[in-house]
Amino acid sequence: MEIRVKCGCGEEECSEWMIVELQGVVETQSSFQGSVQNLEIGHLCHSDSSQETYTFTVGYHELTGSKVTLKKPLLVLKKLQKGTDGSSKKETELEVVGIIRSKILFKTRPKPLFSGTN
Amino acid sequence: MEESGSSGGGAEAVINLGIRSSVPISYHPCFGPHDDLLLLEADDNLVSDIFSGRVTLRGLPDEDAVLCTKSKTYAIKFVGNSNSMFLIPPSNPPGFIQDDAHGKVSVIKLAPGNMELVEVSPKLDKLKQLLLESPFGPGEADAMMMDDDGSEKNLALYTWSDLVNIIQASDEELLKGLESLSAIEIDGYWRVIDESYLDMILRMLLNNGVLNSWSFDDLDEEEVVSSLVADEFPTQLAGHCLRVFGSEVKGTNKWKLEPRLVCLHFARQVLREEKMRVESFMEEWRKKIPEGMEERFEMLEGEVLTERIGIETRVYTFSVRSLPSTPAERFAVLFKHRPKWEWKDLEPYLRDLQVPRLSMEGLLLKYTRRAQSRPDAEPIFSAR
Repeated sequence: MEIRVKCGCGEEECSEWMIVELQGVVETQSSFQGSVQNLEIGHLCHSDSSQETYTFTVGYHELTGSKVTLKKPLLVLKKLQKGTDGSSKKETELEVVGIIRSKILFKTRPKPLFSGTN
Repeated sequence: MEESGSSGGGAEAVINLGIRSSVPISYHPCFGPHDDLLLLEADDNLVSDIFSGRVTLRGLPDEDAVLCTKSKTYAIKFVGNSNSMFLIPPSNPPGFIQDDAHGKVSVIKLAPGNMELVEVSPKLDKLKQLLLESPFGPGEADAMMMDDDGSEKNLALYTWSDLVNIIQASDEELLKGLESLSAIEIDGYWRVIDESYLDMILRMLLNNGVLNSWSFDDLDEEEVVSSLVADEFPTQLAGHCLRVFGSEVKGTNKWKLEPRLVCLHFARQVLREEKMRVESFMEEWRKKIPEGMEERFEMLEGEVLTERIGIETRVYTFSVRSLPSTPAERFAVLFKHRPKWEWKDLEPYLRDLQVPRLSMEGLLLKYTRRAQSRPDAEPIFSAR
């Protein structure tokens, strides 16, 4: 079986995606019932400082991190199952839909915020 | 902090987020597992290969897929990440993601990790097996000459395209594998030639050489081929014989027979499946060598082994080409055959091993145990 990795665009035009990475898990409040779609996670801020510093405020926590250029880019691939007409044989295709060259990485312990501090 | 709500949203809003600006990040309306969305780590070379459409995944459904460029083969490993990786698509997302038209920065998926590539040796052992299922022999040759379309052939035959679908190797590596088997494409199928049939063609070539006073260093391809065709061998096989046993003299249309290849062929014909006393072997071998060529025992390294039985030395066929091409399996077979090896005997059976990121020293360190009774003694290698 041979699956060609396709791309609808060239390297220059390939749309760039982003990753925001933090340690730990983001959860909804235990009292929340329902799906997370459309919910706001937090606020990302590019701080005013000489270092490339970002802060991410999620709920009552503030995380500090920086933009990191990936040593090796990540390609975003979409796996498609195409059924060839009539037959039950499913063909798999892989398509490049994006590229990720950098991410915002939060490695520090979150700083708890209390009302009135910000 | 300024809100950059006027930006178009999406990944760009994060990439271009100005100093002292901030932006809210939400879950996308289509947020979900999206198991069909994968991240692949790729160095810059691979990235350009992929965008040039030169990269494919190969393997049978029950195998772990490998990724192949034009010349290299990579194993694919999934590396998990315990961090939360929020994946944010661009503001103009691909069709399968509903456009979040509010200019927001949205997370489509929490990526559990990404795929990494590790360069590996091509898996070519299956190739030998497949082609040896139906070696091309005199029966088929006759059918060819009589224009028989061979519709009655009940043979397992493989085209290039079949091989690409079965063998986990890049195009270049597959081609090299075929060359090392002296395979030939006949009627669109890749074939190895039955050894005794090849022997017939070679002996006829040598015979004709003597009859026509050809020089074996300066053979004219057309002459050779037409003489063999006159002896009822198919054209392609006549030419193939020159490629198997000779090399083209650069810049001319002439061929030179390689003594080592010819002598090796006859050595294998003499030994067959047996172990012979060295003296008898040398005598029989000498008889088969054509005039003008000189046989030397060193020509057979990597192809025969000797063993001492009492006061006698016996020799037998043990060809590197019959051994597995991957290092772990190669060493396993070698040490199973013989628990201890001297370097001079072992080296010819390791020479062709090409392992990414591992030198010969590294290979020996990884797979063998080395013993030396005295500093000036020959080191002995055994299984680790």
